[in-house]
Amino acid sequence: MLARLAENLFWAGRYLERAEDTTRMVDVTYHTLLESPASEATGSWEQLLEVLHLREAYGDGPIDPARVVRLLVLDRDQAGSITASIEAARENIRSVRELVSSELWESVNDLHLALGRRDLRRDLADQPYELFGHIRRSCMTIYGTASETMPRDDGWRFMALGRVLERAEMTCRLLDVRFSQLERLAGPSDRLGALRTDEDGSVEVARGPDRADFHAWIAVLKSASAFEAYRRRYRSSMDPADVVEFLLLAPDLPRSVVFCLGTAQQLLEDLSDGRPSRAVRRVGRCRASLQYRDVGELFEVGLHEFLAQVQERINDIASDAADEFFRQHPSGALHAIATS
Amino acid sequence: MGDLFSGYEDGGFFDEAFEPSGAVRPHYEAVVARLRGFSPDDLDRRERIRDQLFRSQGITFTVYGDVAAGSGRPEDAGVERTFPMDLLPRVIPASEWEVIERGVAQRVTALNRFLEDLYVGEQAAIHDRVVPRWLVQTAEGFRREAFGIPVPHAARCLVSGVDLVRDGDGTYVVLEDNLRNPSGISYVLENRAAMTRVLPHAFASQRVRPVDHYGPMLLRALREVAPPAAGEQPRAVVLTPGAHNSAYFEHAFLARQMGIELVEGRDLVVDEHVVYLRSTKGLQRVDVIYRRIDDEFLDPVVFRPDSALGVPGLLSAARAGNVTLANAVGNGVADDKAVYAFVPDLIRFYLGEEPILPNVETYLLWDAEQRAEVLDRLGELVVKPVAASGGYGMLIGPTASDEEVARFRERITADPRGYIAQEVIALSRHPTLIGDRIEGRHVDLRPFAIAGESVEVVPGGLTRVALQRGSLIVNSSQGGGSKDTWVLDDEGAGIDAPAATDDPAEVA
Amino acid sequence: MRLDIRYTTRFDYDAPVAESQNELRACPASDDRQALLHYNVTTSPRSRVAWYSDHWGTRVDTFGIRQPHGSLEVVAEATVETWPQALITAAPTRAMLEDADFRDGHLEFLSPSLHVEPGPDVVAAAQQAAEVAGDDVIGAALAVHRTVSSALTYAPGETYVGVGVDEVFGCGRGVCQDFAHLAVAMYRSLGIPARYVSGFLYAADDATGAEVVGDEVEVQTHAWVEVAIPTGDPRRGRGATWLALDPTNRLEVGEQHVTIGRGRDYDDVAPFRGVFSGRSDHELSVSVGMRRLAVEPTDEPAGRSAVRQQEKVQQRQAQQQ
Repeated sequence: MLARLAENLFWAGRYLERAEDTTRMVDVTYHTLLESPASEATGSWEQLLEVLHLREAYGDGPIDPARVVRLLVLDRDQAGSITASIEAARENIRSVRELVSSELWESVNDLHLALGRRDLRRDLADQPYELFGHIRRSCMTIYGTASETMPRDDGWRFMALGRVLERAEMTCRLLDVRFSQLERLAGPSDRLGALRTDEDGSVEVARGPDRADFHAWIAVLKSASAFEAYRRRYRSSMDPADVVEFLLLAPDLPRSVVFCLGTAQQLLEDLSDGRPSRAVRRVGRCRASLQYRDVGELFEVGLHEFLAQVQERINDIASDAADEFFRQHPSGALHAIATS
Repeated sequence: MGDLFSGYEDGGFFDEAFEPSGAVRPHYEAVVARLRGFSPDDLDRRERIRDQLFRSQGITFTVYGDVAAGSGRPEDAGVERTFPMDLLPRVIPASEWEVIERGVAQRVTALNRFLEDLYVGEQAAIHDRVVPRWLVQTAEGFRREAFGIPVPHAARCLVSGVDLVRDGDGTYVVLEDNLRNPSGISYVLENRAAMTRVLPHAFASQRVRPVDHYGPMLLRALREVAPPAAGEQPRAVVLTPGAHNSAYFEHAFLARQMGIELVEGRDLVVDEHVVYLRSTKGLQRVDVIYRRIDDEFLDPVVFRPDSALGVPGLLSAARAGNVTLANAVGNGVADDKAVYAFVPDLIRFYLGEEPILPNVETYLLWDAEQRAEVLDRLGELVVKPVAASGGYGMLIGPTASDEEVARFRERITADPRGYIAQEVIALSRHPTLIGDRIEGRHVDLRPFAIAGESVEVVPGGLTRVALQRGSLIVNSSQGGGSKDTWVLDDEGAGIDAPAATDDPAEVA
Repeated sequence: MRLDIRYTTRFDYDAPVAESQNELRACPASDDRQALLHYNVTTSPRSRVAWYSDHWGTRVDTFGIRQPHGSLEVVAEATVETWPQALITAAPTRAMLEDADFRDGHLEFLSPSLHVEPGPDVVAAAQQAAEVAGDDVIGAALAVHRTVSSALTYAPGETYVGVGVDEVFGCGRGVCQDFAHLAVAMYRSLGIPARYVSGFLYAADDATGAEVVGDEVEVQTHAWVEVAIPTGDPRRGRGATWLALDPTNRLEVGEQHVTIGRGRDYDDVAPFRGVFSGRSDHELSVSVGMRRLAVEPTDEPAGRSAVRQQEKVQQRQAQQQ
């Protein structure tokens, strides 16, 4: 297929995932904070801006939650905002319309049109839950549509590859920022502090700093749609080490980093017709280095450093794939020359 | 009559559906009967379904800033809009269509001969003074860069759109030729697809000739013009300026209909005078390019050096006979509106036949006598710039302000070669749904012809309708709409109106 | 005169260029005044060079490079035999310029073009110059030729490609291209069809056309003009014979002038046009070396037809490649 279109599909996958993940994070942060002291809100929103690499875009001045939400949701000109990501996904899919099913195009276009029709500012003020739910469900519908209507050809693979690489990176970022926050709030000895919930859902602080952490960890899990799965596996324990293990290493959780890398490996192998290309080798190594990790070890070496390393490798995988598949796509501008 | 047609008047124009007496023309009986059975709610529902279909398909076109400014609605600049399809189809009986079909094929055949002769032949039409040499040389679309570039079967206008209108007597006349990158065929196909869902039973009652073979037809023609050296299955691609072009929807649509790649200039590369696709698995050879990029943007080595839309070296590959460009480079010389005036003579010269479809009477303004007469009667005439398309920059004398007329007087005097003048045609009207009632609106017809080894005309074409009362401008960019256009397999008379249980198909 | 020409164009890029596509117009024409004996284009990095004759009859060599390269060198080598211009014996009158067929046949060389759009000053100067010649077309042509030669001072590096003829006339300085454009503009304003000629001049000095001492010289590409002189015989050459004049050097074009091609102005015959992808910075160097070959003078017209024959064979070979 065309190198450029492959690249567009790859980015369509990334942007859709980015829109969805960003929505989850904003949604969960917003609703978690409704039950939290106002003082926490500022810090949490600032964290989120950092996760999304938008702290600078927000500019100086005090963190105003309403303004942060507007930036993250509404600002069409701000790369990384939800509307900008949806716009970018739509543009990418629009440019590959002849490769994807009409249904896929219609579903992404529907979301775009629906957002255009809504008074988003008022929605944010009145009923953000409904808005976030709409976007989240739409994104999942779009994927579902893609999954149900696209043949499993290279086009599909590039889109899926963009999606899982973005997701793996988002999950890393999410964990990274939460841990940095914890480290700032509490001393190192407290960072493994565990929280417990009773069977009826009421909260008991077993060890660790305070109630805010508990909310933070639930928020992390919810951001990754993993709270319920976590509860089923770990019951009432809310141990950060477990959360990290679950989100990083669970082989069966669709949003865990290991799961995403496994999918990426399969996709890259198929795309390379079984050749052991650089990207395939790199993703294999990265996955292997994670798969049999002991979480305790991670905390010894420093979780932040480790997550930064994983993010870097994911970026390398993406650029290896770009080198291999998109390289025919020229990057240089054209210049005219003439002699007299 | 308490129905949608109550109070309908033909306004003294030729009406497509009604005779002057008010009787329904035979080929419209079925359609009119069906619509008479509709309640306002029925209509409303169908319109909603139609709108949803078009919107969710993303069928839009971009109104360019300068045009919108010209229309006095600068706030519309650069916005995407849908091209509204009217619920009332235009119906053409078989005998009428047969004339149109032959007339369009004849015209396109002659124009292809003319272009071939001009760019790779002896220029007989010039030597024999059928067309003035200077007129050709001063045509904006004349491309000296295209000399010597071969096109198999001389199919230089592989796709053409010939704009027809009907005058006060109902005679079909040619208004202009579109030989460069005529657009609109996607609306023909999408309109039909929508109509079969919105008014499914209307089709059951009549034999309407299908249009959905357009994609395969176009692909076959593209493969027929592949260079002789291409293999059994030549690779054809559609070349688009990109997603921001106003006709991008159509480019993507056609690529999908043909099952071939839609590419941008940057997806192609020329290596040793051969064109390749840049694919994820390396370079792949291309034999035919259905390009929807204007000549001057095709190849920055030869044309505008600042164009990033084209493919450097593309013309050298075409000249080497390694790739065929469709439509060919330089066709604009033949759809120049002053050269248009000579097309009937070109038909006689190259084919030895009388033109089947007449031209509109056209005044050539470099001729002092004709110019004087035109300037005298400017307020009664239509004036068009010779190289424009899309209804841009026209003067419609009878509805123009004094200032506009004065402005055109200056322009014509300064650049007589740059404009032509024509008598105003009392364009035929067609019943059209306006709000909750039906009124007459002016229409034209753009049939599409495809030339490969031979010339074929797609049944029907795009009927454009001027939605504003009294307006003669049907262009999509100027507030026009469209109609599904039905060519009947017979005369359409004597068919009973079927029972009015016409439920629209559910839309997924 | 038999001449060897070696025309080198070299681009040095600041950063490697991945792709480039180019057109070269450097091949001496074959016509009444010269015959091409040999022509060859090589590029470094190597590429497959194809050629065609453009609308104006100029040979165009086209080639592309698809491997990363830091520099591109194009060498065009030619051997050409030249003769003096044939004498024009007719004495046409200005009235013959008005003939409708004559005008129609030369419209492209009568109309303004991209680089030739004269304002009133240039037009007035042309009229004034032509006045002395009265009704005589050739006299008018020579008068304009002298006027242009005197109006401008040869001043390399002071003008740029695309400078307007009015500006050139106003400042009175320019290079051969400007001399030629101004002359073309003046001729056309008088109703005398005129075309721009690109070529090489075998001379020791571009500004004076001074004779070469020795047999090798480093020169530059050159430009001059040709004007259509009506013959009154519409059956041949659209009723015109062409008079070639070199206003830069106040010379009639002779054996030392080697024609590449003709067009409405520079834009139709620009020697090199190309597009590359990458960073924009590059350095361009152009050089032309000419060498006179010692050969027995060939007999006219037998010698001329002999080289024609040779040239046809070469063209056919080139087409087959």
